[in-house]
Amino acid sequence: MTITVAGNKKDYPGALTVQKLIELENVEMPLYVTVSLNDEFVPGGTFETTELHDGDSVEFLYFMGGGR
Amino acid sequence: MKLNTALLHGVQNAFDPTGSTLPPVYQASAFAHESAEKLEKVFGNKAPGFAYTRISNPTVAAFEKRLAYIEGGADAVSCASGMAAIAMALLNILQSGDEVVSGSGLFGGTLDLLEDLKSFGIGTRFVRNVTAEEIEQSVTPRTKVIFAELIGNPRLDVVDIRQIAAVAEKYKIPLIIDSTSATPALVNPLAHGASIVVHSSSKYINGSGDAISGVIVDGGRFDWDFKKFPALAKYRPMGKLAYTARLRQDIWRNFGPCLAPQNAYLNCIGLETMGIRMERLCANALALAEFLSETGALDNVNYPGLEESPYKPLVESQMQNGMGGAILTVRAGSKEKAFALINGLKYAHIATNIGDVRTLVIHPASTIYAHSTGEQKQSAGVYDDLIRISIGLEDIEDLKEDFAQAIQKMKKGD
Repeated sequence: MTITVAGNKKDYPGALTVQKLIELENVEMPLYVTVSLNDEFVPGGTFETTELHDGDSVEFLYFMGGGR
Repeated sequence: MKLNTALLHGVQNAFDPTGSTLPPVYQASAFAHESAEKLEKVFGNKAPGFAYTRISNPTVAAFEKRLAYIEGGADAVSCASGMAAIAMALLNILQSGDEVVSGSGLFGGTLDLLEDLKSFGIGTRFVRNVTAEEIEQSVTPRTKVIFAELIGNPRLDVVDIRQIAAVAEKYKIPLIIDSTSATPALVNPLAHGASIVVHSSSKYINGSGDAISGVIVDGGRFDWDFKKFPALAKYRPMGKLAYTARLRQDIWRNFGPCLAPQNAYLNCIGLETMGIRMERLCANALALAEFLSETGALDNVNYPGLEESPYKPLVESQMQNGMGGAILTVRAGSKEKAFALINGLKYAHIATNIGDVRTLVIHPASTIYAHSTGEQKQSAGVYDDLIRISIGLEDIEDLKEDFAQAIQKMKKGD
């Protein structure tokens, strides 16, 4: 299936959850990531049970930022 | 996963390679990076990382992640105090000319803050009772926020979140719930339709009265109209997360009310036992309220979990296990009697706080509401003879005995 990750379309074989996508994409510091799926946020405790479907769009967001 | 398990295992402690079961206290102002390029990316939110503790810190983030998880929110932003959290939660979306519709049974500090906001051109329309009808009557085209305390302190009125959320939804206005007195152990306001939740986490979340702090939890579900909320327009690409994005990148970051890492650590410890503490505190509060009612020695005993409380059905339907919170109030008949009763207690500390492990009592009219007008006091349920009791974890038989002897002392003084 095709998933848009951070604006880039990618093909993935077989079933996929948010957690699996985090692992496949080697998402940095996964504990701090906020996941947006089709513009809806995915609750932190549901990454393993949230299944992805063909055409989904996923963003990995961080609210950490810099200082002065 | 149920509450107490979730509090311990919901968010793994992945901060420390040593296997520390608690997040270490990262008592550092700044975090170094391996290259200028990496720090540039961190600054631009193009790579995760910590740079400066006013903006992010691993210990503080540990607390925030736990709070967001336990409230079911998209993200949590912690603050130096509960008042800072309320101020930031409001200022993140309000500008001059906007209005807040709020319940009037508010904590005195919040009333004072809403008064302060007048000088910035932000007004508040107060409703006597936080019902859908009264809220809707006060909504105007200028209304940008509905604000209410879930359990009013010290009025102890309980808000039906779903009812108010329906009005908020109708007018496309966010509903901010101050859930300090309820805590996530009793209810998750976001699950009932609130848009944003604030806590003075100095209270039941911390639990030991050893660190001042506040937190804002964004549900991440509100559909922001960027014409109606122009302050968020810059963050349009973040969609429903625009509120948190602006908090993190602008208002909260630039006002600078960050939480100290040591206090975040203390909150992480407190949060782990919140479920158990709230069970005991609520049971103690109900038992003492029933005992004081039965004595008939006081004019009025107010506790939302009492059978005779008009809020009892709502407490049963909305709160976990029908728990009614850990605050009760009594009316002694006069200010002098109230002072006599307070002074006669052995175990209760006379202190301006709630959510401690110890029982605390205060005379709100002469302290927290000393700056409020007569009308504000009346709306907030603050009378000259009112005593607020923040129940502690003491054995209930000792508390009953203590209040019984203090009532006797008060009567002898007649």
